[in-house]
Amino acid sequence: MKSKNKQLNRSESLGQLAWRKLRRHPAGLIGMILIGILVFVSVFAPFLAPFDPKLQILEYSVKASMFQGNVLYTKNPANLSQPSVLAIESYKLVGDSVQYKDLSGRKVTISKSKLWGKNPSDWHDTPIYYLGTDNFGRDVLSRLIYGARISLMVGVVSQIIALIIGIFLGALAGYFRGWVDNVVLWFINVVWSFPTILLAILFSSVLKSTHDVLGFELNAFWQTFIAIGISSWVDIARIVRGQFFSLREMEYVEATRALGFGSFRTIFRHILPNAFGPIIVLATAGIATSIIAEAGLSFLGLGIQKPDPSWGILIFDGYGYIAAGTNWGLTLYPSIAIAAAVYGFNLLGDGLRDALDPKSISR
Amino acid sequence: MLNYILRKLGYSILVLFGVITVTFFINFVLPGDPARLMLGQRADQASIKALQQQLGLDKPKIVQFGSFLVNLSKGDFGRSFSTNRDVFGTIIERFPATALLATTAMIFSTILGMVLGIFAAMRPNSWLDSSLMGFALFGISLPSFVLGLLLMLVFGVYLDWLPISGYIDRGFEYLLLPMFTLALRPLSIIARVTRSSMLDVLGQDYVRTAKAKGLTSSRVIMKHALRNALNPVITTISAWFAGLLAGTFFVEYIFNWPGIGTVAIDAILKLDYPMIQGTVLFTSLVFVIVNAVVDIMYVFLDPKVKLS
Repeated sequence: MKSKNKQLNRSESLGQLAWRKLRRHPAGLIGMILIGILVFVSVFAPFLAPFDPKLQILEYSVKASMFQGNVLYTKNPANLSQPSVLAIESYKLVGDSVQYKDLSGRKVTISKSKLWGKNPSDWHDTPIYYLGTDNFGRDVLSRLIYGARISLMVGVVSQIIALIIGIFLGALAGYFRGWVDNVVLWFINVVWSFPTILLAILFSSVLKSTHDVLGFELNAFWQTFIAIGISSWVDIARIVRGQFFSLREMEYVEATRALGFGSFRTIFRHILPNAFGPIIVLATAGIATSIIAEAGLSFLGLGIQKPDPSWGILIFDGYGYIAAGTNWGLTLYPSIAIAAAVYGFNLLGDGLRDALDPKSISR
Repeated sequence: MLNYILRKLGYSILVLFGVITVTFFINFVLPGDPARLMLGQRADQASIKALQQQLGLDKPKIVQFGSFLVNLSKGDFGRSFSTNRDVFGTIIERFPATALLATTAMIFSTILGMVLGIFAAMRPNSWLDSSLMGFALFGISLPSFVLGLLLMLVFGVYLDWLPISGYIDRGFEYLLLPMFTLALRPLSIIARVTRSSMLDVLGQDYVRTAKAKGLTSSRVIMKHALRNALNPVITTISAWFAGLLAGTFFVEYIFNWPGIGTVAIDAILKLDYPMIQGTVLFTSLVFVIVNAVVDIMYVFLDPKVKLS
């Protein structure tokens, strides 16, 4: 009796089993670490980024990495919660005011009351630009950090959209078969015939003028999320359809019919959970593809709009310097960021596929 | 057999019809009125009306769709808004550049991908296998335009070995960077598919029999295993070839390669509707046709394909 209890305790759900296998899967582990970094950076971006990613100091345009700035913070009459930034050569205290030399060598005197805060440590700083600055004198590191948010959001949101469409159509086709399947499959094949990126570009152009239809304008973020989402559901629909084709013949599905459950309940409560493995694997790889698509759209100026720091826009900003052979970091750093994020999701996708594969179950 | 081929062709035509319908509606869902775009923002109402009439835009959609189909059958895709050149002529003129890039990239990635895949499968889970597959997944993870720019930086600027922009008419070296950029993704995927398919086959009884007969391992692999592992590999290759022929957008765009992809991206950036329609339709047609041809070729190549 006792040994039987022990056995019961040791039995694991499929999810627990998969998790145990995933933790031992080297590729899956590296993938989880990379995604963990991406999520951490996205969540804590305001604390990690040394600068506001949109802050321009034109005097500091395209500086090399580890450049040290020298700035004064002054009160901004237009926005009292945020200081303005002045790039200076040097400063000295003269009584109740501060005399500073700007970058053109001009000497300017400014009253202390116009400076940010009270102490010199409040209004003077020599910040380090670890990865240098771009052509508008913005901190590249801060833009990369905030860019992680955009990539993660795009990946997750557009995959959710793709999952909703793909699961709905795939389930419909696979469950009802017959003419429903014929129509859905035809539609899948038609959409499949268009190059995905071209489709995403077209949808994002269409979504730019939603005012007449929806009554409001979608912002560039939602335009991009939706455009990518509705362009990338085809693979999901195919897989779900295939899963439903075989699962609907199972005895437990027969049982739901005998119990008189409606099709809706059978599809979503009983068949879908059993098709989850392949869907999760595909969705994980799909996040990677969405991140690539967003970077591509934004690179062309058709996705996220400047000055928001999408990695694709960062690469576009650096692109102009390639032919000149200068400032290669502006291209290299965002490239590494994109590659690492996409690699992370692809590794996790591989790991999940091995972990969820019932053929490789080993205890 | 004939029945099967006819059915495949019929289905492809149905899909093509869907593609054409979707393409037709691009005009109506894209922002802006074509007549206004052609004449520019300052045009007066009377000339816009006149042009709308001339283009048939005032007629019911179903009539417009009819004339769209008639024009298509004559190879008339309209004229570009920005260059006023014949859209179909431009596409036909640019297609060889895309075809050349796609074909060379596919040959390169097929050969190298299969070789790497076979190497990896010969010693599964060895360090060679793990590092090859790690690289292959990395190859899949690099967006083509990112890889292209990095290759430009290294080989074009830092080492100064290869030109970073231009067409092959200026020399063979102009092909190399775009070709390799385009090849890396299919190469990685072909290597992965070859490996997993080979591993499946190498576990089969007849391979063990071949080994037991005392055949050398190279003979077992080349003669017995590879031939049977080829099917999924060919599917992957043909799907990728169809995809690349249909468009190599980013690679052409960043390397300034004068193919369909550059035309399409330019057209979208300039809201050049007839050119957008033309390139979208053409790339999808190529994709459907190549896939149909491949499907039909399977009947002749693989006796296992079910004809039902």
